[in-house]
Amino acid sequence: MLLGMKKVGTNKVGTNTDGAGSMKKWTKSGSPMIWLTSGAVSVSLIAVLGLLGLIAWRGLVYFWPSTIYQFDVVNPHGQVEVVIGEVYETDMIPAQRLRENGHIISDDVEEVASLLVKTGNRELVELDFRWLLTTTIKSQQVLPNLAVFERNKNGNFYGTMSSVTVDGRKVTGDMDTLIETLDDSLERVETLQDQADSLQNDKINGLNFQLERLRLKERRFEIDNELTPDRAVDLKVQRKTLNDEYLLHEAQLFKFRSAMTRDFVTVKDMRGKFVNINLSNLLSFNLPNQMNVLTKAGHWFVNIGNFVMDDPREANTEGGVFPAIFGTIFMVMLMAVIVTPFGVVAAIYLHEYAKKGIVTKFIRIAVINLAGVPSVVYGVFGLGFFVYILGGSIDDLFYPEASPSPVFGSPGVLWSALTLAILTLPVVIVSTEEGLSRIPISLRQGSLALGATKAETLWKVVVPMASPAIMTGLILAVARAAGEVAPLMLVGVVKMAPTLPVDGNFPFFHLDRKFMHLGFHIYDVGFQSPNVEAARPLVFASSFLLVTVIVGLNMTAIRIRNILREKYRSLEH
Amino acid sequence: MINLEPTHLESADTNLLDLANLTDEQTAFSIESLDLYYGEKQALKNVSMRIPKGQVTAFIGPSGCGKSTLLRCLNRMNDLIDNCNITGEIKLEQSNIFDRNVDVATLRRKVGMVFQRPNPFPKSIYENVVYGLRLQGIKDRRRLDQAVEESLRGAALWDEVKDRLHDNALGLSGGQQQRLVIARAIAIEPEVLLLDEPTSALDPISTLVIEELITELKKKFTVVIVTHNMQQAARVSDNTAFMYMGELIEYSDTNTLFTTPSKKQTEDYITGRYG
Repeated sequence: MLLGMKKVGTNKVGTNTDGAGSMKKWTKSGSPMIWLTSGAVSVSLIAVLGLLGLIAWRGLVYFWPSTIYQFDVVNPHGQVEVVIGEVYETDMIPAQRLRENGHIISDDVEEVASLLVKTGNRELVELDFRWLLTTTIKSQQVLPNLAVFERNKNGNFYGTMSSVTVDGRKVTGDMDTLIETLDDSLERVETLQDQADSLQNDKINGLNFQLERLRLKERRFEIDNELTPDRAVDLKVQRKTLNDEYLLHEAQLFKFRSAMTRDFVTVKDMRGKFVNINLSNLLSFNLPNQMNVLTKAGHWFVNIGNFVMDDPREANTEGGVFPAIFGTIFMVMLMAVIVTPFGVVAAIYLHEYAKKGIVTKFIRIAVINLAGVPSVVYGVFGLGFFVYILGGSIDDLFYPEASPSPVFGSPGVLWSALTLAILTLPVVIVSTEEGLSRIPISLRQGSLALGATKAETLWKVVVPMASPAIMTGLILAVARAAGEVAPLMLVGVVKMAPTLPVDGNFPFFHLDRKFMHLGFHIYDVGFQSPNVEAARPLVFASSFLLVTVIVGLNMTAIRIRNILREKYRSLEH
Repeated sequence: MINLEPTHLESADTNLLDLANLTDEQTAFSIESLDLYYGEKQALKNVSMRIPKGQVTAFIGPSGCGKSTLLRCLNRMNDLIDNCNITGEIKLEQSNIFDRNVDVATLRRKVGMVFQRPNPFPKSIYENVVYGLRLQGIKDRRRLDQAVEESLRGAALWDEVKDRLHDNALGLSGGQQQRLVIARAIAIEPEVLLLDEPTSALDPISTLVIEELITELKKKFTVVIVTHNMQQAARVSDNTAFMYMGELIEYSDTNTLFTTPSKKQTEDYITGRYG
């Protein structure tokens, strides 16, 4: 490339002096610089938009109800086989390679299209994804009665509804009757499910929590040698009451569960066999081939809503990501709450009180350099210091009754937030210092001249006026922390957390709990999933969601900063 | 607000004070052999003078002559400068303000200051005025309201802003901002008001308003003003000190200094031969 440019240059000078002159003029006019700089901006813009566009497209298209095809395929044994499913992807394969593998393909063909079809019915067939060569497809139909059943186990089921059994009574008939019957039954099951869920979440989990507290209380008395017979009896009575209540609720729960298993739907699958799907396993069903664009759009929104609001299922390859969204936002907010006061106070000391000498300079450089330390190193530090030393000591001092199981001595959301707070501390310190140095000296003097001490001047005039800069630091900190995954894997993130770090049990915020995180979720679904093909769209969807969450957090912070800026505007006069 | 309210008759008398032999009662500040160094550089050289109570005293002189530095010594604003060393003493009410046990905040409460450029805080007009009072722990709403009205009237700003006391002070014009800053300073009822070139950043009309205000202010406060505008010094001050290269060259009542200066340097400066 360099050679090429040189050649052009010499050519121009050698052959055409007029051209060289105008070239020089053009250079002098500054246009090349404008082209160069605007080019750089365009490239960055295209890169960012391309990235977002790709992620958004691949992530969002997953929720669009896709057409279900019925293919008649000739298998290698020459028999015709029916395949029902959604087309996920189309790939072009060189014909030469297929010929080498023994496929018979005419000579004038260079490439053959191959379809990746999701056939579902995971428990009945070996693979729920199949590659079909277009040359082997004899015919392809879009039958209006093909339905997709979303189940809470084993993924989707594709087939044609043949009958619905309601309370032991088999309902057959035309498709509309079946759909109506199934809708009604499904609604009943959903009501039962809601009741069971609320019983589980409100009552049974709370009772479990109380029982555990009771056990810890007893253990505590034992350790302190204060378990008097009176107390032992009292505890026993309490436990008995809780247990009785628990059994009562449990019986109720089992009743709901068995009532849910009453009805089932019979579906004819692609092998021509009839399969019963119990309604307690059925989440929803629809017939995408009968939908128009509007109904599809409606389903698209519902699907996105479910993805955002539901818990994950099937080793995170299905269902929603709500715990991960919640965990990400909660952890980031906790981090912001920790890092802001620390960073601001440190910056105030460095900028306002510390003598401007070599030591201060060294500290400042050290702080700035901290921002460049790889984040996983912070994770290791967090594990070694926060989890083992700090958490371990807290457990020894305050939770001896829980031993040997750790409370704060194991990774958790508090330690994650603290680790990320240290990670983002330099950013907050640097921008706060910048903000402090931008406050005009005349305002400080004005305050001092009114009899304010230095501290009063700082808290009443200087720090409020530096608050937009502090917010800028916080925005950068949030942006960095929300996307950080590596350190979290060491100090608190898990693939699947049974409970959220916030719930209805006192003290409501359980900072010792492990949590789920969107960034880790992406890694887990993308690389650790047992079902790669099924997980791939989820990787894109989760990535898009993570970007959305981070942008949302940033926008909130930016909005606050702009309000503050407006309040303290016209700093320069 | 302030008890000290000399009548017109009395002020006619006090105009003719013998500056060299002021009694302690007549003195606001008594400066004795003051030397000030910024690092190696000496900015004030053996300055001694007495600033009379209840009058306007002006410091004039060319740029860099030390007049602002001297003014900033009076409420110890120079403390903020790192390598500033002071010897000699300044007495306010017979006690040295450089004394170790003097609380700077209390001193500055007694000696208010207004700067060259208006520096209102980015708060409401009301909050600007009560800033000093709130620092003193006054929370009584009625007292604060009263102080705001009195101070703003005292600074000739009340009529212009009474309907928008809770608007941001930065929305005021430069002249209004400067008067607001004066109101802020007089709200804490200081004994002395230091004005450091208060009109140099203002337009002529605002300057005129401020000058009129200064003649009003001297009824209640001792005023010390630094200006590089000789006409201004002649218009507003009772006494004038001329400084040059860190030294106090001449100090007498304004009339005498401008009409019959005793030193050649003073005459050269006021006739515009240098500076």
